[in-house]
Amino acid sequence: MRHKFWLIWAVLTTIALLFAACAPATPAAAPAAGQPGVDQPAAGADGKIELRIAWWGSQNRHDRTIAVIEQFEQLHPNIDIVYEFAGWGDYWTLMSTQAAGGNLADIMQQDYARLEEWVSRGLLAPLDDFVADGTLNFANVSESSLAGGRLDGKLYGVNLGTNSMTVVIDADRLAEAGMETPNPEWTFDEFERVATELHEKLGIYGFTGNLTNEQLWKNIYLSLGQWVYNEDGTGLGYEDDQPFIDYLKMVKRLQDAGVTQSREQEIAAGGSVETDLIVTGQSAMTYVWSNQIVALTSAAGEGRNFILLPMPRPAGGASANYLKPSMFFSITSQARHPKEAAMFIDFFTNNVEANKVLMAERGVPVSSEVRSALEPLLDAPQKMMFDYIASIESSVSPIPPPDAPGHADLINNVYWPLVIDPFMFGQQSAEDAVRILREEAGVVLAAAAAR
Amino acid sequence: METVSTAAGRAAVRAPRSILHHKALRTLMYHLVVAGLGYVMLYPILWLFAGSFKGRAEIWTNVSSLIPQQFTLENYINGWRGFGGITFTTFYLNSFFYAGVGTLLAVAASAVVAYGFARINFTGRRFWFACMLSTLMLPVQVQIIPQYIVFSQLGWINTFYPLLLPRFGGQAFFIFMIMQFIRGIPRDLDEAAEMDGCGKGGVFFRIILPQITPALITAAIFSFYWTWEDFLSPLIYLNAPRLYTVSLALRAFADPSGTTDWGAIFAMSSLSLVPVFVIFILFQRFLVEGISTTGLKG
Amino acid sequence: MSEALSVSSSARPTGDRRPRPVKPHKKRWRHDNWTGYLFISPWLIAFFAFTFIPIIASLVLAFTNYDVLSPTWRWVGLENFERMFTRDPRYIKSLQATFFYAFTAIPLRLIFALAVAMLLNTNRRMVAGYRAAYYAPSIVGGSVAVAVMWREIFGRDGLINAVLGTDVAWLGNPSTAIWTLILLAVWQFGSPMLIFLAGLKQIPREFYEAAAIDGANGWQQFWRITLPLLTPIIFFNLVMQLISGFMVFTQAFVITGGAPLDTTLFYALYIYQRAFVSLQMGYASAMAWVLLIIIAVLTALVFRSSSYWVFYSAQED
Repeated sequence: MRHKFWLIWAVLTTIALLFAACAPATPAAAPAAGQPGVDQPAAGADGKIELRIAWWGSQNRHDRTIAVIEQFEQLHPNIDIVYEFAGWGDYWTLMSTQAAGGNLADIMQQDYARLEEWVSRGLLAPLDDFVADGTLNFANVSESSLAGGRLDGKLYGVNLGTNSMTVVIDADRLAEAGMETPNPEWTFDEFERVATELHEKLGIYGFTGNLTNEQLWKNIYLSLGQWVYNEDGTGLGYEDDQPFIDYLKMVKRLQDAGVTQSREQEIAAGGSVETDLIVTGQSAMTYVWSNQIVALTSAAGEGRNFILLPMPRPAGGASANYLKPSMFFSITSQARHPKEAAMFIDFFTNNVEANKVLMAERGVPVSSEVRSALEPLLDAPQKMMFDYIASIESSVSPIPPPDAPGHADLINNVYWPLVIDPFMFGQQSAEDAVRILREEAGVVLAAAAAR
Repeated sequence: METVSTAAGRAAVRAPRSILHHKALRTLMYHLVVAGLGYVMLYPILWLFAGSFKGRAEIWTNVSSLIPQQFTLENYINGWRGFGGITFTTFYLNSFFYAGVGTLLAVAASAVVAYGFARINFTGRRFWFACMLSTLMLPVQVQIIPQYIVFSQLGWINTFYPLLLPRFGGQAFFIFMIMQFIRGIPRDLDEAAEMDGCGKGGVFFRIILPQITPALITAAIFSFYWTWEDFLSPLIYLNAPRLYTVSLALRAFADPSGTTDWGAIFAMSSLSLVPVFVIFILFQRFLVEGISTTGLKG
Repeated sequence: MSEALSVSSSARPTGDRRPRPVKPHKKRWRHDNWTGYLFISPWLIAFFAFTFIPIIASLVLAFTNYDVLSPTWRWVGLENFERMFTRDPRYIKSLQATFFYAFTAIPLRLIFALAVAMLLNTNRRMVAGYRAAYYAPSIVGGSVAVAVMWREIFGRDGLINAVLGTDVAWLGNPSTAIWTLILLAVWQFGSPMLIFLAGLKQIPREFYEAAAIDGANGWQQFWRITLPLLTPIIFFNLVMQLISGFMVFTQAFVITGGAPLDTTLFYALYIYQRAFVSLQMGYASAMAWVLLIIIAVLTALVFRSSSYWVFYSAQED
């Protein structure tokens, strides 16, 4: 009896082992033969170089990027590109894990808010040598488009597209209210008046909301010629809290008067562009990043007319807009083929055919040659995005330095839970909120910078 | 609670004292209550399915309606296309492989281990059981990185080993669950069999396994679903898109800072429920028929 | 939870009268180390090969300032633990949210699961279809689609406001947000229900037949047969729901992200945020080990209590 049991157990185990052993060889998994195992030699047996690329995005971006990768592979038969992609949140979980395991891809997509964090840990490699030897050719790229990727004078990321924030106004609603398009240099006072008037005349929200987003906090100080973080990233970079206090009070007034959604409703609605109230005509204005215009107009459907305006500014301030690199390609310090990685980034930036596939999905391309080649091919929403960036280019404020290494911690653990939400839910005054922000920022940012 | 117990009691006993027209009324009431509640349970899923057939322009402008103004399959076509030529056919094959083999391993191993814990008295039994249960109490979020480092040192990234090999030890949830079912079986049966010359292995296969079939079926249903749904391990260990599972691919559609094709998400999410649902329908028949009662006579 | 406990303990006095298949064993349970370890060897091997190292690593990291991206870390002693209880207001909120959730969602879910399992434990027509309908919510899990679905149902133009005639932002209101997540948990009650169903199937029909001959009505049968014989399964479900209730993560992660005012900031979600957003893996590990201790203590209490209310056909000593 006993030996029979063990016989069956042994058979089951063997079957299961066989299954597991065959895993990489099943039909679905077969193409994984060229897998990037950590201990495998850098070049495959056939002498091919294996280059790894990782990015975040959605279907549209995945499709276009993979098509460009295939173009590149055709031009360089000796390079085999292995790619990985994920949604935004998953991407960073994966990248952090890979970084800890010393297993990062050669090229990774980077974000302006994380760049300094990654550079300060020595995870990204400077690209200046490749610029000097011409592998990365920036002849058609203006310095201002590249500046965002520089830290301490070294280039750590190549801008993949230019973005800026914009107020979207439903033109038909504006006409319905019998109102004029506001001046592009509008102040918060004018903004408040327009939003309130739209609300009172139309009975809908004058503005969707989300005005407490940290981006708008940054915009205020940018417009006043300052920056929210100090140079070494150990605390706040401005002395005067009053502009932010005034701003918060305005946002609260708008919320309490029903001109915008309340913070409660914002949280309940979630943050997707496609579900913005302007899409359903329940709001007359909203704000988005310029590349999101495409998603917004597509969700709103045919026959809608939108006007794009720069962000409002505090009285007496300069432009509250800057040209932000939507995202970067960076070469990691764990890369095995930095040279080939640089070649790919150059191709991605400068090649017109590649960019005809990409179609400015990551924002307005930085190469002037690419921009003019794409111009005639754009559809209406894309043209709006290009025109908007062109219209503000000359007047925007200079790009601020990348966020401090403690930025994500500050926003997640201080800004929302201790500063904004208690204020918007009426549990603390604007003065208290701003005081707490200053105190906690000192602690959190200093701790992160000390690492 | 009243209806609950009487319904169950009546069905089990076929009590002779019930009055006939009462019985018909009760049956009607039963169906009304159960079906009504069932509709409430299903509403959100119906909403999801409805959304998957709405066109791009309609999906956010006609949100609350369960009936699309214009019925379209566009979302399914777009969604199935996948990413850069790797379609959902690939993702489904991967998911079936992972969930199928994973379930087989987990349930088989769990049954063996559960028998050991439930029916054999050995030194350290309580200690190891406590250890096993404790592994469920440490959030996986803090284990990801050390585990990744171990598996990447072994060169197992982009293989199914990190996902499947740990299942040879069974899974604590199922081990404990099957243990509880085994403990419900009178020990007399084991002992009688052992007197007849069965070893522990024989007892396990002859006496215990037939008795715990409902538990094994339940475990299989859960294991399949949990594995099907798991995205974290595939995210960390299956980096090549050709190895992506359905649950992981679904998450590659959404990008809060760019465009999100919600129609495709709804369509592919709806579709991803189908295999899990089919497994449930197929397996629950065994649950209903339940082989359990026969063994207890005598 | 208290419901389940009182229910079964009140059933206890009648325990003598309920039909039992066998008399409790007084014989000693024979010792057999060799066979015992042989049977649990698969688990032991897998534990030491795959689980042990990450667990120990996370314990070590709990005393460091490891930040994921840097290859090095510094030993900080008990600082992480001290910070948790003295200098982190969000941590306290995450404890509150988690305990509130656990002590409401777990009992509700178990009672609902048991009730429905009994409703569906019949041989009526259509019962297979009903069973599928009731199980269906449990397979939609925690995907992106669920987040959107739940948002819309509780949204301003959603089903709930339409039915109740209200205009409440259920997911944004600090006093209602957690209840929507509790409701979601109760709605996805399929797994305990299925386990209860399997347990009900295991109760021999002879018991009920015998009881019916004795003249027991349905209600009495429930208290004297069903509930006592189901206690091992109730016990299992209670323990498992307790553990998974304290580790609840996905729903808050995809739907609320902890908002509003941290009322849905569940413990495991906070651990994730600290570990992968703030990149404070050392601190997150410390929090994880405190959670382990909390759950372990509560689980041990339930195990202790089990000798008073859980009945096994096979007695152990």
